[in-house]
Amino acid sequence: MRILIVEDEPSLRQQLLSRLEAAGHVVDAAPDGEEGLYLGREYPVDLAIIDLGLPKLPGIELIGQLRAAGRAFPILVLTARDRWQDKVEGLEAGADDYLVKPFQMEELLARVNALLRRAAGWTQSVLEAGPIRLDPRSQTVTVSGQPIDLTAFEYRLLEYLMFEAGKVVSKADIVERLYNEDEERDSNTIEVFIGRLRKKLDPDNSLLPIETLRGRGYRFTLC
Amino acid sequence: MLISLRRRLLLVAGVVVLVFLGLTGGVLDQAFRQSLERAEADRLLGVVYTILAAANLEQDKLALPAELPDARLSTPASGLYAMVLGTAGPEWRSPSLLAKSWQPDLRLQAGETRSYRTSAASGSLHALAYGLSWEDAFGRQAAFTIHVAEEPAGYQAQLAAFRASLWGWLGAAAVALLIAQVLVLHWSLHPLTAVARDLRDIELGRAEELRGRYPLEIAGLIRGLNRLLKSERERTARYRDTLANLAHSLKTPLTVLRTALESGHIEQAEALEQVDRIDASVQYQLRRAAASGHLLLSAPLPVAPVLERVLRTLAKAYYDKTLQVESICAPATTFPGSEGDLMELLGNLLDNAHKWALNHIRIHAEPLADGLGLLLVVEDDGPGIDPAKAEALLARGVRADEQVPGHGIGLAVVADLVAGINGRLQIERSDLGGARFRVELPGW
Repeated sequence: MRILIVEDEPSLRQQLLSRLEAAGHVVDAAPDGEEGLYLGREYPVDLAIIDLGLPKLPGIELIGQLRAAGRAFPILVLTARDRWQDKVEGLEAGADDYLVKPFQMEELLARVNALLRRAAGWTQSVLEAGPIRLDPRSQTVTVSGQPIDLTAFEYRLLEYLMFEAGKVVSKADIVERLYNEDEERDSNTIEVFIGRLRKKLDPDNSLLPIETLRGRGYRFTLC
Repeated sequence: MLISLRRRLLLVAGVVVLVFLGLTGGVLDQAFRQSLERAEADRLLGVVYTILAAANLEQDKLALPAELPDARLSTPASGLYAMVLGTAGPEWRSPSLLAKSWQPDLRLQAGETRSYRTSAASGSLHALAYGLSWEDAFGRQAAFTIHVAEEPAGYQAQLAAFRASLWGWLGAAAVALLIAQVLVLHWSLHPLTAVARDLRDIELGRAEELRGRYPLEIAGLIRGLNRLLKSERERTARYRDTLANLAHSLKTPLTVLRTALESGHIEQAEALEQVDRIDASVQYQLRRAAASGHLLLSAPLPVAPVLERVLRTLAKAYYDKTLQVESICAPATTFPGSEGDLMELLGNLLDNAHKWALNHIRIHAEPLADGLGLLLVVEDDGPGIDPAKAEALLARGVRADEQVPGHGIGLAVVADLVAGINGRLQIERSDLGGARFRVELPGW
């Protein structure tokens, strides 16, 4: 998924960026509120992690402006201040969750996954569709209880399709969310990956979990 | 700098005294002059009557004897003059008018009198004209006007004497009033001078509070100041404690880390544990210090809106937990402190309840029996808190490294906050099955 980080402390920004990329996300990072606002408005962001004490544009205002611009993606707030007043004001401004510094990376990743699941309408921590079970915490996939061996890219592709279950996802959407800037972007390879995914999940064509809509994209249809 | 209170009051009092006494003097002066004039007119009328008594009518003319009843009329330039105007012209002039060029020509109807002022060559005169008609033995009428005039020397002397004593007394009264005013002011403002002196003593560290006895009007102010001073002192003490505790609880893990780093073999788990200890200490001490815990100069804060905001926030944070939250807040329930403190109190108690509850949370808030203060009860159906642990939680000043595990720093912050407002926190077992926090905060 595509995640926006707005954090002014360079080393923390770098740590967040590498951990989230390692977890399979595409990450945009901004060092101040104004750039964060620009990225949040112009890019198809799925989730934003925003520090409250930002230069140029304070975090609370950044959240307010993003919400005012109609951006509804989940927002996780980071802050060093942990008074309840700050918490209440942060969430009232439009944030969805709150993490007090210093935090553990595992905790941050868990919150990010929870927010993404929640935004996609999943209430369980494990995504289940028919016999397919995807567990974001362990990044494992099983079909009818049998573990499926997926590459990192195949896993990310399936996770994205399942998050967007029932919706049409274009090749461009997939490229924007699953390829980092420096990776080679070729939308033709998407077809290849979809084909491999189908073969691994449904070798005998009995489930047909992924539908192809010619010229428009793909849709995860199981539920 | 503004004009001092003393000067303002004196200025106003001075102006009021001057205006008031000035008006009084003016009115009295006027009244006295009028009575003098009336007395003078009466006197002149008397002279007219003596002239009439002495006069005879001879061939349509008034004739007066050479020996006049008032000797002053016979003495030249005596100051009292008389003249009789007949229809044709002056018929008689008193001998006193010898060197005077007084030529009145006013003629009046019979029975008319008129007072007037005139100025002859030798000075001004106060005069009276009297009209009469005389019937002789044959029944013929003759009209006359008698003019009588007096030099105003006597009048002016009386007026001057009156004025001198009037303004002298009024001036003395003004001075006496102003002196009284100065004394009253000095006496009334004395308590303020005393406050300034007491405050200086506090600044110099010679006193801890304003000790003097003060009059009713400023006693409230003094009480407020003393409360403010006390809470400031307590807050400073709390910050000092916090810093001392913080230093104490940071130094041990820092020492462990430094020793490990210097010796060159450091276990990752060991280092992380020390970092966690540092983090916990910082969080706990800072949050304790941040709770302002005093309720000075803050209006009672309505609880319901803050409660609602905190519940909305928690619903967002615990979106994946389906809880039945039952919240009853009696009308006019207020919190005797700042919004930040109320949020801290509600946030920590309700967060704890959300964390431990299985299905059900119950919140009840109402004013204490005296109508002021706040009674807050938060219950959940979670596992509850062991009474021994509850006691430890309630002990004030528990250091981070002595904290009760499992109940973060939130409840310790609540305990501190409640104690800071001289309130009471009880942890009991709820009939829902879990913990029941009962907070009583006195109003003031």
